[in-house]
Amino acid sequence: MTQEKAVHSAEIRLKPLWLAAQSGDEKAYAESLFLMAGQLRAYFRRRMPFLANDAEDLVQETLLAVHLQRGTYDANYPVTAWLLAIARYKLVDLWRRRGRRDDLHDDVGDLDLLPMVGEQADVHASRDLSLLLQALPVSQRQAIELTKLEGLSIAEASNCSGLSESSIKVLVHRGLKRLSELVKE
Amino acid sequence: MDTNQLISVLSRGAGPAPASSVPSRLIPVSAAGFLVSVLLSASLIGLLSAESFTLLITWVKLGYALALAIAAGLLTAALAKPVSRLDRPSKTLLAVVGAMLLIGLVSFALVPDNEKSAAVFGQTWRSCSWILMAFSLPALLGILLVLRTLAPTRLRQAGWASGFLAGGLGALGYALACPESSPTFVAIWYTLGIFLTGLIGRMIAPIALRW
Repeated sequence: MTQEKAVHSAEIRLKPLWLAAQSGDEKAYAESLFLMAGQLRAYFRRRMPFLANDAEDLVQETLLAVHLQRGTYDANYPVTAWLLAIARYKLVDLWRRRGRRDDLHDDVGDLDLLPMVGEQADVHASRDLSLLLQALPVSQRQAIELTKLEGLSIAEASNCSGLSESSIKVLVHRGLKRLSELVKE
Repeated sequence: MDTNQLISVLSRGAGPAPASSVPSRLIPVSAAGFLVSVLLSASLIGLLSAESFTLLITWVKLGYALALAIAAGLLTAALAKPVSRLDRPSKTLLAVVGAMLLIGLVSFALVPDNEKSAAVFGQTWRSCSWILMAFSLPALLGILLVLRTLAPTRLRQAGWASGFLAGGLGALGYALACPESSPTFVAIWYTLGIFLTGLIGRMIAPIALRW
């Protein structure tokens, strides 16, 4: 299958799920993100074959961006195009960041020393997001833990913490935003 | 946390996607940028007298600046999203600039020979573009700060567009204080000032717009 065809068939699966997700279907949202993660993994690995962990970091960083910016998706365009535009941006941003800090070519020079990466579907990133969660301000971290990790509804989290429902939502949003800034550092 | 965990964190209780916030963020910051330019024009130069607003040239300046700000604003809004069509807003922007250059050219042709130099240079050609650019910088800063909360992926183009939008807003404020009276002058020096603001946007965007 050519790359174009692959993108096309991915789009046919993804678009209805994504539209349902956009209008609030949580299950469709999780499924969309799962499909997107697969597409992103393929996209990043093809472009950075010697840096599998970095590729998974980028997958996670891009998923966070997708979540925070899903309001900028316009249903007139393919979801895949929107997703890959963000992915390309995140990849270029990584090269730029690396270019400033260290020389990427070192990795290519050390090619022989690197273990073969192969095609394993390793979904573990080199950085641990749950550790990064500890770096958030307490209120934001609690809001995320209550609603996202313990699975309380917004109303339950509000009862539990004594905060209003809207402040819970704001804290979760800010926390995820802060998280997406932390993953870049 | 592996990627599947992250996905469940993100999707749990996510609710519907927020409505596009591009216009609701760009419009207030643009209004604020315009007001800063008005304040700078009023305090550093002094606003035009009331009778100036009966002159066509004042409205040519205001009309050019407003049309350009709207066209550049549409382009900036398009560039705030990862995927969008740029052809229509780009053409609108070019058409606005083209129309002003044409007006300037026709006006230049109609002016008697001994006034041609005044039509081009006026009294303030040395400072006009620079002042206009300086009065646009607060707007540019605000627009870039707003844009980086959205999802621009074409940073250089977004920098140009932000600069043109800021330049249009700066010109809209400066036009309330600018003493010049020739459309040719406006076509040259306003356009140059707006272009310079775009150039600054282009230069700082790769750093200022990272998200």
